[in-house]
Amino acid sequence: MMGVALALAKREFTRFARQPQRVIGAVAQPLMFWLFLGAGMGTSFRPAGLAQVSYFEYFYPGVMVMMLLFASIFACITIIEDRDAGFLQGVLVAPVSRMAIVLGKVFGATAIALVQVLLFTVAAPFLGLTLGGAGAVLLLLGFILTSIGFAGLGFLLAWGMRSTAGFHAIMMVFLMPLWMLSGALFPISGAPGWMNVVMQINPVFHALEIIRAPFYGDGLALLGQRGYLLSLAVVVAWAVLSLLASMMRVSKRELGV
Amino acid sequence: MIQIQSLTHTYPASRKQAPRVALADLTLSVAEGEFAILSGPNGSGKSTLFRILCGLALPSSGKVSIGGFDLFAQPQHVRRILGVVFQSPAVDKHLTVAENLRLHADLYGIGRGDFSRLRDDALAWSDLADRLEQKVETLSGGLARQVELAKVLMTRPRVLLLDEPTTGLDPASRRNFLGALQKLQRERGMTVLMTSHVFSEAEEVDRVAILREGNLLAYDSPQALKALIGTEMVVVRPQGDAEALAASLRAELGLAVRRHGDELRLEETENGEGLPMLESILERWRDQIRSISIKQPDLEDVFVHVTGRAEPERASHKELGQ
Repeated sequence: MMGVALALAKREFTRFARQPQRVIGAVAQPLMFWLFLGAGMGTSFRPAGLAQVSYFEYFYPGVMVMMLLFASIFACITIIEDRDAGFLQGVLVAPVSRMAIVLGKVFGATAIALVQVLLFTVAAPFLGLTLGGAGAVLLLLGFILTSIGFAGLGFLLAWGMRSTAGFHAIMMVFLMPLWMLSGALFPISGAPGWMNVVMQINPVFHALEIIRAPFYGDGLALLGQRGYLLSLAVVVAWAVLSLLASMMRVSKRELGV
Repeated sequence: MIQIQSLTHTYPASRKQAPRVALADLTLSVAEGEFAILSGPNGSGKSTLFRILCGLALPSSGKVSIGGFDLFAQPQHVRRILGVVFQSPAVDKHLTVAENLRLHADLYGIGRGDFSRLRDDALAWSDLADRLEQKVETLSGGLARQVELAKVLMTRPRVLLLDEPTTGLDPASRRNFLGALQKLQRERGMTVLMTSHVFSEAEEVDRVAILREGNLLAYDSPQALKALIGTEMVVVRPQGDAEALAASLRAELGLAVRRHGDELRLEETENGEGLPMLESILERWRDQIRSISIKQPDLEDVFVHVTGRAEPERASHKELGQ
């Protein structure tokens, strides 16, 4: 199963690397978000309790999550393209496990997302953020799990869709709010009560937590913190559930009555 | 090798449409090593049947076994012995020919050891040998189809399903494709089921099935099918009112006259009867006839005869990209 998934993932990556526009867009867009919003907001708004953190720095992990979101989601749009072009039917009739079809897409998406977000991680020292060895491993784990979660969710949404335009609409009304309510733009502590609750049950909030934490704590010590472990568990559950749901979706054959 | 038993498929009702029966109690089998063609007008259920056979859809009821495996209970076993060529290309056109073949080999679990041998084997008949590093999107329609067939043949399927594989090809490429397919089918003893609109493709196969509205109207060898209608037919193209001429031919000659587009066909004519009939018709109705000829019936004529309507619209074929 893994061999097939990796072969399919390799195809995703090869296609990505051959479309320079996609590479540029995927890196430049979050970077602009970060620079423009960071620069603009930082001087205009000063949230209470964040006096010692610049908005640039606060927003930094949020942009990482946005990169993972966009990279994974764009990779899932190719499901619709694959179906349209006919490639997908060839994979569906092949003697491969349905999970391998899901994992192929999700791993490909994750690889693409990782390349982008790791490039962006290079900016960390300029913000005065440092990572220990264990912290770097946990950060990478956070990237991978989050990316799998987004890609799994994207897969589930894209599978039944026939048009990429429809997928964009779903992305804007469903996936973007998940990110907006993750604490990427503003801290959960300042959010009104109802929003606070929504944010707590939003898996992307927890994804952001496990990506932000390694910059501010010792890697090994994090593994002893209840808050960190809870967020980690939520993200793992999110990734696993979206993969399983996607697999069930792929296994379903259209039925006559 | 392929056994289809009382297969029925009804599409569920949607907001605008009542439930639609696509296949009605269809029973059909293709023996091992046989080359069968499935034809029928648009909407006859061919595509539905094809989607069911390659495991993409489940029917409302009925059984299908392929290579001794129950398609619905053990799809994973069937997939292993099955090769499928779709009407729309199933190769990734952004990848090179070699990359596509390698990916396909990975999907079918072909190891590095066997790969180069199987690949060379699958390419032997094709014109792709010196184009392996080209992206598929840069190839002509005919060559892109060759990639499709080579890819599928590489896994050595025992059963090959093809859905209008020559759509969008020029006549020369079409002949090449079918020639290669038939040669390989005989060499390897593959069981082949192919849907097709083009009856010149069916003349040399073992069996031809004709479907209409989900029912099997005929299933036999091309020779036997041609014997359904006479060995000769007289074709009249009327000048002016076709119905009037048809009625008067019917009344005075006592023969079945079938309208086909702007032609009137007298199909129940045996060898040698055609010419005298032509002469007598010409003598009696000369002023109402634009042209008249004798024709050896081909499968297209059988199709017209059996389905009772003109040949399906060619224009509705989806054209393949370049």
